[in-house]
Formats: sequence, C-alpha cells, structure tokens
Amino acid sequence: MEFDRSIIGREYDRADSEAVVAEELIAFAKAVGETAPCYTEDGPDLVGHPTFCLRYRGRKFFPDNLPKGLLGRMSFDAGKDLDLGVPIRPGDRIHVSSCVHDLYEKTGRSGSMSFVVVRFTLTNQSGEHVATIDNRMMYR
Amino acid sequence: MSKTFDAIEEGDELETRVLFLSKDQVRAFARATGVDFPRFTDDEGARKEGLPGMIAPGNMSMGLLTTFIETWAGTGSLRRLGSTFRGLVLPDQEFHLCAVVTEKDEAARTTELDTWMESSDGERVVIGTATVSFD
Amino acid sequence: MILDLHLHSERSDDSRAPVEAYMKILQRKRAERALDGIVLTEHRQFDPSRDFRDLEDRYGMVILNAAEIETDYGHMLVFGVNADILARFDFTDVRLPAQEVVTEISRLGGIALPCHPGRPNVGLCAHYESKSTLEGVVAVEALNGGSKKGEDARVAELIRERGYAAYGGSDAHLVSFVGMCATEFDREIRCMDDLVGELRAGKCRPVDFRQRRVA
Repeated sequence: MEFDRSIIGREYDRADSEAVVAEELIAFAKAVGETAPCYTEDGPDLVGHPTFCLRYRGRKFFPDNLPKGLLGRMSFDAGKDLDLGVPIRPGDRIHVSSCVHDLYEKTGRSGSMSFVVVRFTLTNQSGEHVATIDNRMMYR
Repeated sequence: MSKTFDAIEEGDELETRVLFLSKDQVRAFARATGVDFPRFTDDEGARKEGLPGMIAPGNMSMGLLTTFIETWAGTGSLRRLGSTFRGLVLPDQEFHLCAVVTEKDEAARTTELDTWMESSDGERVVIGTATVSFD
Repeated sequence: MILDLHLHSERSDDSRAPVEAYMKILQRKRAERALDGIVLTEHRQFDPSRDFRDLEDRYGMVILNAAEIETDYGHMLVFGVNADILARFDFTDVRLPAQEVVTEISRLGGIALPCHPGRPNVGLCAHYESKSTLEGVVAVEALNGGSKKGEDARVAELIRERGYAAYGGSDAHLVSFVGMCATEFDREIRCMDDLVGELRAGKCRPVDFRQRRVA
C-alpha cells in the first residue's frame, strides 16, 4: 500500500472538551477496579485515574487524507503508548491536538496489516501537558 | 501498603493479581468512557463484527494494569505506560495481572517494569512496559 | 553453548527492551536460563553500525546482530547479514519472495531460516498447505517463546515430515521473556561467522527454559 508520508506530524484536528466532572472521574476509576480515595472519593483531592485521559480524542479520530486503501475498512486498537503529565481534576477542560505519528505495514497472525499511529497531545486550560497518547490502529 | 523506592530491587516480581473480569464490569467501563458500542457490550453485536463475543476495550486493560501497578508503587506514580494488545480480552474469565522490575534508576528515582495480562489458559493478551516514579 | 536466536530490542516497532536490560536479566536469571548470549533479530531492518562489544565485555556474553524479515512464506530470521544481502533485499518489504531469499542469502554468505513456522498466516506450516516446498531450508524454529497452544506441536510434525534441523528462540519483546527458549550448540560461537557455519550444518538443537523456576 502506498503511504503519503507527508501527512506525518501535521495537525489535522484540534478540539476542546466540556469541563470534567467529579462523577465521571469516579465512575471511571471504579470501573478499572480502583479503590484509592484520591481516585474514587469526591473532594478537593480528587484526581483522574492515570488512564482516564485515554478517553479523549478530537472531533475525528482519523484525518481525512488517510491512504485510500484504508478508507471504509474497520480498524482495531493494537496498542497505545501513554506519557503522562499533570493529573486531570474536576473542572479541567482538555484540549486535544491530533496528528498522524507513523504509518507502516507488517504481517502477523492476522495476516497483512497496515498500521496508522495517531498521536493525541492533551493539555489543560492552563496549557499544562496532561498526556501524549500514541494510538496504534491496525487495519487488516 | 505501597513499596518504598529503597526496598525495590531489579528483578522483583510484583505479586500476581488474579481478577475475574465480568461482562457487567466491561459494560460499566464502556458506559463510563462513552464507548458503549456493540463489540464492548453485547455478544451478538460483537459477533456481527466478526468477533467471537463481546470483548473488553484495550483502554480497560491498560486501566486494570495501571491500578495493579499503582497499588504496588503508590497512587500518582505512573509516568508512562506502553501496551500492545496481542489477543482479544474476552470477559467472564479469570485474568492474571503480572509485572517485574527490570530497571531501577537511582538518580531519577524511577523504575521500569515489564507488565502483562494473561488469560486463564496462559495466553499473554496484553504486554507492555511502565515507568514508575517515587518521591 | 546456548544462545537465544530470536529476540527484539526497542529498535523493533513492538518492543521496548533495551539491550543492556536483556544482559542484566540474564545475569540475574542464570540459574534458570543458563544462556551464553543473544542474537537480536529486529523486525524488517538491519543496522550494520550496531556495536555491542562494550556490553559483551561488561557482561561476558555474546551479542550478535541479525534480522527478522517477512516473506510470501511467512517470517524468516536472517543471520550473517552483510552489505551484499542488504543491497539485494529491501528488508522493509513485507512480501519478499521466500525462495529467492533462502537461495540468494545462502549464496551471499548468510542463512535465512523460517521462524515460528506453526503460527497462522506468518508461519511456514500455513503456507505449505497450499504452496510448494521451499528448496534449501536447513532448519526451522521448533520452539518459539511466543507460541500459542498447538503451534509448536504443528512444527514438530513439520520437522518430522521434512527432516529439518531445529532451533529455538524466545521471540522476546519484553526484557522478562528473554531466553525462555533458546538454541544449544556443541561448538563455541564467538561471532556471526561461527553461528552461520553451525546453522548451515544443522548442528543445533532447541532448549526449553519455560518451566524452570529456581526459588
């Protein structure tokens, strides 16, 4: 498959979330088996579980100019790399900047696969780095 | 009680956590994260997508591994987590969460861990590494 | 002499293992996995400038540099990569012609051996179901540390049928899994030429360290 590598690194989307509310932080933490009070109890010390940030994406997950051979095909989450900054707190608004970080092909148990690595860079309303998330999306 | 940095040695194995991952737990996660798509909530819906049944999202596996690691290292200690989703995480079975300390950086007060999630038949469905920092 | 013939460092897209971390863990786990060295087989690439002499001296182990490539008969490990081989084949191509790979790499001084042959889609067994036999295959990976249930058994059948020699490798992408499967040689292996020579002669046998845990 031909990849236009010029799309790599170019921001294709940016978006801002609604303000984070305590209830959603708590519901998430409990859903991943967390019991630590700082993640599960409302109050001034409440922060988001480290992986809460994985829910954020821009208005669109992929750019419009993905290689033509991938359009319309189902993709699967093959893995993620998460680099953490400051924790998310109630009231935070998360800004997401999206770009394609890498494109490559390989073969594996599932046969021939094309990979699109989409990078989300998250900052909060104060401009602090919240997280960088590389999503490895697999097409087969 | 979480571990102190000085007590950690390279090669330390975290005590394996055995957890039963139920379908209801997966559905709760899907609702809490706004990904309540058929593949994460309903067996029949998942089969229509070519899957053997409903599956847990990869993000959930990362969440479970993070909870496991931070129980050992302390809340707020995770700095980085990289994961590869090698197999489908089919709920209604036991999973083993495992980790090993592979490196200890005295100057930075961080440790590197290998971490993985095994299904009940020993298949490593999620593998990855983590960086954990200590005060 | 025992070497892990198949593992990946952070150079491979799905591994996060620094080479020195492999050395440290092998030092610590010597009672369980008595290896003398490793061979790095990075996915779809080969960097001839990699120099492990410092690590070899510090840890007293052999560290050799090879590659894992992708062909129309599944994945293969290439040992003895040299400039001629790199000029002849683009290692980033995921559809290299397997028969040419086996024949030409041998002619150019190296050796290409199928790895994880029991694995669906990327193992030799699957391709032999519908394609002709590859000429010149000397050995296949009988034990792979990443094998799922039944895959190694499928390979045992392949070896019995075809008379291939057998080797082993961990296929580690994480530090912890290095050396779980490996290959034993009667001769000392100090460099890649030594390794290629023994593999060409089929003088190797797989070793399984997966069940051994020392309290």
